[in-house]
Amino acid sequence: MTTQHQGFSAEVARARTIRYTWWLAALAVIVVISTVRLYTGADRITAPGTLRAAIIGACPILLAGLGGLWAERAGIVNIGLEGQMLLGTWGAAFFAYHYGPLAGVLGAALMGLLGGLLHAIATVSFGVDHIISGVAINIVGLGAIGFLAKTTFDDLEGGGPRNLSGYSTPPEFTVPLVADGARSLADRNWFIISDVAGAIAGVTTRLSLLTVLTFVLVGVTAWVLWRTSFGLRLRSCGENPQAAETLGIDVYRYKYVAVLISGAFAGLGGAYLAMVASSSFTVGQTGGRGYIGLAAMIFGNWRPSGVLTGSLMFGYTDGISLLSNSGVLVHALLLLVAIGLAVFAVLKLRAAEKITAAVMAGLSIGAFVWYFSSDSVNTSFTGMTPYVVTLFVLAVFSQRLRMPAADGQQYRRGGAG
Amino acid sequence: MTTIDVEARGIGKRFPGVVANHDVSLHIRPERVHALIGENGAGKSTLMKILYGVQGADDGEIVVDGRPVTFSSPTDAIAAGIGMVFQHFMLADNLTIAENIVLGAEKRHGIGEAAKREIRTISERFGFGLDPDALVEKLGVADRQRVEILKVLYRGARLIILDEPTAVLVPQEVDALFANLRELVGQGCSVLFISHKLDEVLSIADDITVMRRGTTVGTADPARATKAELAELMVGSELPSPATAESTVTERPVLRLETVTVADETGREVLHDISLTVHAGEVVGIAGVEGNGQSELVEVVMGMMRARSGSIHLGDDDITRLNTRAVRDLGVGFVPEDRHRHGLVLDYPLWENRVLGHQTSAPAVRRGLVSRKGARADAQRIIEQFDVRTPGVDTSARALSGGNQQKFIVGREMSGEPRLLVASHPTRGVDVGAQAAIWDHIREARREGLGVLLVSADLDELIGLSDRLEVILRGRLTARFDPSTVTASDLGEAMTGGGVVAS
Repeated sequence: MTTQHQGFSAEVARARTIRYTWWLAALAVIVVISTVRLYTGADRITAPGTLRAAIIGACPILLAGLGGLWAERAGIVNIGLEGQMLLGTWGAAFFAYHYGPLAGVLGAALMGLLGGLLHAIATVSFGVDHIISGVAINIVGLGAIGFLAKTTFDDLEGGGPRNLSGYSTPPEFTVPLVADGARSLADRNWFIISDVAGAIAGVTTRLSLLTVLTFVLVGVTAWVLWRTSFGLRLRSCGENPQAAETLGIDVYRYKYVAVLISGAFAGLGGAYLAMVASSSFTVGQTGGRGYIGLAAMIFGNWRPSGVLTGSLMFGYTDGISLLSNSGVLVHALLLLVAIGLAVFAVLKLRAAEKITAAVMAGLSIGAFVWYFSSDSVNTSFTGMTPYVVTLFVLAVFSQRLRMPAADGQQYRRGGAG
Repeated sequence: MTTIDVEARGIGKRFPGVVANHDVSLHIRPERVHALIGENGAGKSTLMKILYGVQGADDGEIVVDGRPVTFSSPTDAIAAGIGMVFQHFMLADNLTIAENIVLGAEKRHGIGEAAKREIRTISERFGFGLDPDALVEKLGVADRQRVEILKVLYRGARLIILDEPTAVLVPQEVDALFANLRELVGQGCSVLFISHKLDEVLSIADDITVMRRGTTVGTADPARATKAELAELMVGSELPSPATAESTVTERPVLRLETVTVADETGREVLHDISLTVHAGEVVGIAGVEGNGQSELVEVVMGMMRARSGSIHLGDDDITRLNTRAVRDLGVGFVPEDRHRHGLVLDYPLWENRVLGHQTSAPAVRRGLVSRKGARADAQRIIEQFDVRTPGVDTSARALSGGNQQKFIVGREMSGEPRLLVASHPTRGVDVGAQAAIWDHIREARREGLGVLLVSADLDELIGLSDRLEVILRGRLTARFDPSTVTASDLGEAMTGGGVVAS
């Protein structure tokens, strides 16, 4: 009994150490960013406007990532997020135009949910390969909204065969005092303080209700999946459905529910694109964010907090690539990437993974060379930033991840024992 | 705790083309350990699945405490007080012990502290010593089994069905399990214990029922029955013995490992300084608690893992850096530990499975192309020579029982006259009939000069078949025994590190 007790307190102590390490790492990241900002003179990398763009870039990815998380925690790979998001963009535009912004949000979720239903029927009931079904949904989703836009938007005022504008969007608000205070601090260009203030100002200025909802959903997802028996059952279907079955759990039902919720989240991501990131609908405006959401989920090790981190990172690169004169910003980012890679190479070297360390070091040197041999990154490249970062981050981080054990596997009832 | 009385009457179950159970009758009395014995494919598993509601019966009825019941799912069986511990544990590795236990029974005590308290209470009452917050991934086999039993108890089960619970345990762990079972029975539970290890059955059971070819063929009283009698009921023949008659050991080394050290992906040493020689005509048995480096030893010989230092020779050939293909081509047969993961492609017909692992040599392959005719003929030869019970070479491997799958693998690995056979648990989950056949084939090949590296958890097999025993503990060879003088308890002690049961 005593040994068990010691083991227990050791566990607690370790958890505490891990938490400290995380805080220290976060602080170190801020210090590095701040230093890079002062050194490069690219003050805009932590300006409120940039960070606001980052949040707006992050939210659709975050919603897609959370959607992916719901499905994969139940063992279904939902690569159809992209298609479900596309359906969501149309749903948001259509319902918001006719019935107002709230209906737009709900309509987008509903359209995404329909996409999820299609995926659930294919993968859960008929045992279709998850990837094939998902890709089919992406293709069908694009075709469907093209058709729907042509038939429903062409005759509307502000509409065309492939676009629609002039509908109302969810309200935005600015937190009084905090936003102005933070903004004035941010303008001073003080080391660290201005960077943090910039982040606060970016978050509190012209904040959309849909953004608030998105961040609330991160907490809701974490709470439901890890603190309720419903969530436990859902996760068990992704870890070992046969075991769940022997305990009397209706695995099919939980998989269905999970994929439906997944689709609805992706639909909300579409709503965000069509209502907050821009105020108009265009066919195909997701631009692969469904896939990036999936990447954020994998980067986040199938956990809500990880998905949040990944989305913010992708959102940031996505956000700045849309700003004017982004070449200079991406150029400053290059230095940040070079430093990050160097740190990673050192960590890998200490873990005795020589080859990985060497590759990291090589890439790091490449990034340094690129940074010092140019003044700006060509604008043709800046648009690629989020995608390059996606590839890159997955290549670096996907080595020690733990996905749900039965993720992507076919499950048939009655196979237990 | 109230007691439970379960009776199965005239149970029948048919699958397309097979009668799995017919006219099966069984009476599990309250507060008794009831053993169900029979060969693989005798229909024990089907009966259990029916009792636990995984499958429905076509005929007959189940009577609990005098009332007929029908189970359409495990939920119904659980509600009636019946719980089951599967042979292949039904646990989610990435969840904690508590999460695995409360799953599906969240209504009893929620999923928070109250549930953990209840788990601790049960764990202490039966001396399981489990921490509800530990991840299942980190547990050893014996602890996993306790989690499974706890899972069943947490649901208030009064009849606990255990499917071959001792197959994966070392002797000391078996003793601990039996103590746990005695405790359970003492507190009002009933236990249905499925096994084909007769001495264990005789030592733990209060009642014995024997199954053969899908039906119950008799009952026995453990106080009076002997192993021979039970075996005769089970297979209609005498109990096979693994004992090897005369020594055929030669001086010619077939496999020579010199100071081999192996590390896993994280850099931890899983094998340390292993030196070992297998001579022609010699069976070297590796005894050890699972997870002490046996799998790695096999994998490093087979070229599935790389040695960090040291050398491995097959005869005069250095195979330290060779891949599995090259090692096999030099004349090494390999019976893998997990026949479903490594030995067979379950959905391939037998003749295609015959080609696997021999895709560079006749008769399965000629001039670089698969020879359908040659492979089929040779698969047929294996079926006849090794007595594989199957309708034909076109049957998919999945349709065979475990014992027949294993006989087929052994047959395949013995073809092409290998110099060395690396056999990992060659008779795990195999019934006595097939076990005897596999032992006979290994013995025969050994007489003809085959060297065998035998890894097994079955001590009878190790002692009976080996010419020399090596004990592996935490990646080191720690002791050497002569199988003709060693006892199971000596060996068990050495395997667990000198009498202390590893926790």
